[in-house]
Amino acid sequence: MVATAATSSFFPVTPSPDSSDSKKERLGNGSINLGGIKSKTSSSGNLQVKANAQAPPKINGTKVVTPPAEVFKNEGGVSFHPPRTFINQLPDWSMLLAAITTVFLAAEKQWMMLDWKPKRPDMLIDPFGIGKIVQDGLVFRQNFSIRSYEIGADQTASIETVMNHLQETALNHVRSAGLLVDGFGSTPEMCKKNLIWVVTRMQVVVDRYPTWGNVVQVDTWVSASRKNCMRRDWLVRDSKTGEVLTRASSICVMMNKVTRRLSKMPEEVRGEIEPYFMNSEPVVAEDGRKLVKLDDSSAEFVQKGLTPRWSDLDVNQHVNNVKYIGWILESAPLPILETHELSSMTLEYRRECGRDSVLQSLTAVSDNGTDEIECQHLLRLEDGSEVMRGRTQWRPKNAKISGNVGQIPADTA
Amino acid sequence: MLKFPYCNVTDLNQALAQCRFVGLLGPLASRRQSPRAVVSCSPSSSEFSLTPVQAVMSCQQQFGSSLVNRLRLGGLTEDGFSYKEKFIIRGFEVGINKIATIETIANLLQEVGSNHAQSVGFSTDGFGTSPTMRKLHLIWVTARMHIEVYKYPAWRDVIEIETWCQNEGRIGTRRDWILNDVATGEVFGRATSKWVMMNQDTRRMQKVSDDVKEEYLVFCPREPRLAFSEKNNKSLKRIAKLEDPVRYSKLGLKPRRADLDMNQHVNNVTYIGWVLESIPKEIIDTHELQAITLDYRRECQQYNVVDSLTGLELTEGSKMVSVGTNGSATATATTREDDHDCHRFLHLLRLSSDGREINRGRTEWRKKPTR
Repeated sequence: MVATAATSSFFPVTPSPDSSDSKKERLGNGSINLGGIKSKTSSSGNLQVKANAQAPPKINGTKVVTPPAEVFKNEGGVSFHPPRTFINQLPDWSMLLAAITTVFLAAEKQWMMLDWKPKRPDMLIDPFGIGKIVQDGLVFRQNFSIRSYEIGADQTASIETVMNHLQETALNHVRSAGLLVDGFGSTPEMCKKNLIWVVTRMQVVVDRYPTWGNVVQVDTWVSASRKNCMRRDWLVRDSKTGEVLTRASSICVMMNKVTRRLSKMPEEVRGEIEPYFMNSEPVVAEDGRKLVKLDDSSAEFVQKGLTPRWSDLDVNQHVNNVKYIGWILESAPLPILETHELSSMTLEYRRECGRDSVLQSLTAVSDNGTDEIECQHLLRLEDGSEVMRGRTQWRPKNAKISGNVGQIPADTA
Repeated sequence: MLKFPYCNVTDLNQALAQCRFVGLLGPLASRRQSPRAVVSCSPSSSEFSLTPVQAVMSCQQQFGSSLVNRLRLGGLTEDGFSYKEKFIIRGFEVGINKIATIETIANLLQEVGSNHAQSVGFSTDGFGTSPTMRKLHLIWVTARMHIEVYKYPAWRDVIEIETWCQNEGRIGTRRDWILNDVATGEVFGRATSKWVMMNQDTRRMQKVSDDVKEEYLVFCPREPRLAFSEKNNKSLKRIAKLEDPVRYSKLGLKPRRADLDMNQHVNNVTYIGWVLESIPKEIIDTHELQAITLDYRRECQQYNVVDSLTGLELTEGSKMVSVGTNGSATATATTREDDHDCHRFLHLLRLSSDGREINRGRTEWRKKPTR
């Protein structure tokens, strides 16, 4: 069986001036070797990945450091939907989300070998949080210890931290499956048909935010979704208690990278990837409600002039998707941020942006009379083109357990 | 606060067991509690069969089996005078240059410093204040931070950071770090920082008696041990105030909620990001940050707006000498002295409203190595 790889392209956009100096078109490298995917170089030479399914992963041993997106960037730039145009380049994050199909064959036993951990009898978890494949080779699991700097003003890990963990596990899943191969992560059949994955939707439900010192265990897997889509699910638990902290789900579809039109899943492709699907029920029930498009009149809060900082950019100088979430939250009214915590969100990705983009964040609040608050969001560029739509739900924060925080004063130690 | 000037080992262990932060295992609540007992022992006393450090370490071993500790992969070194911890670089900690960002490095330095304080029984609120300090309403305030990185780690690299404290002058303390690449054993970075005690009510720096200092100095090596031991090293260099004309600027930076730490203050690491904001794309694309020094002058509040200014640092005629590798740290840096390859900037962060200085800084950039 062939090792298949699929990555998703995020949301193509109108070709922007700076896309011209980005990397060259990276065509999927024809055949992908199963069980022994050695270094592959993309046509532009930017990416080398050493993914060897037959040996334990080397820490610090790989020459390549290929943080996410590099692999998954593509150029192009035609409309995704007739009225909309797509961006050429992919946010790493989404690509990973789109994940792919894990290599099975050589696979199963070799997956266990990929689990690098010291031989400590009491070691239940991988020490460095590299992660491993579990459960019949379909699920990837990784642990994260919440660090002090990941704790935000709410005394808990922020939603950005949670999203970063999801991103990281998707990436590592793809990597451990030997799928960080070519620029598109498409299966051979997909490559033949010029198809790539595109992430369109993300849903996250947080039951409890982890706090400093917690260790979270993140499981991720992929499944078929409807007839032509693929879904990546995550389940985040407290390592110690098993309590479910977060559930998340993302949807991706196939798109023809040349015509920029959505495509049904060809039977040949289905044949390639179906075996790798877990095909479980979605971990988050799909929120079928339409996301409204806000405008200046319907939005109560508008924040303009949002510009990415250097640290917001991923390896390809595009704004990391997790940062979008930060932006939409930044423009939520402060009283809500201070008294409530984000309990769930549904996001639709439309377009990507880079260092020179200037964004606006629009927020509308609906109070349905209960303790919970719901907001609608829109992130757009100055010319009005949509970057992301979202809906967030907020619940009142738990009363603080201890009031000592107030005594610690202004200066950061 | 209980004082045990003379105690046998059992009492010492029990007392330390109380002050040991079981908060590591428990919920946030217990984390927030101050230790109820603090052992204050004179190191010169010979009645003790255990030094305070040994006592803390044996105490730690009792709690060493916690899941967090195992995952944390850090602990006091054998002599108890420093703390080491391993980290793996995660994908989201890597930046546009495919390597760990300086913010990631700075965050890890902060994390390991905080874990060190915690491991010796100091506060777990992220500030590492000792019980006496809290009683006197004293907090640590960063005065200066200097980081040098010779080779940035990449995604999935495992690094080890060692940190320790030393006394510095009448009111200061320094914390030093050495950063190692676990796979190669090489030192890839060094850092040092200076902290002073400030009264949280008066907001003024405050001198303390030797007793108060002793409380934490017992955990510090007595002989000077410096991450930067070479003479005239860059960590000591005075930073001139950036004067007009300013070469590059980025105005109107606002703290985001995500920039706030658990105590609702603008995180120290955010300032590093702001300083770098005004560096132009041409430099970011072709160079990597070799060294950064920041003098912290004034705190920034959530509602402030900040301007980031950058100018060239005028050399004083002679070229910078390559940093030697003497001393307690081994530097594997090779400072490029060629003007084309190495850029040096002065920085100023100031309040947009009235121009008051928040930080001043100095950075050095070298041409990116081919990877």
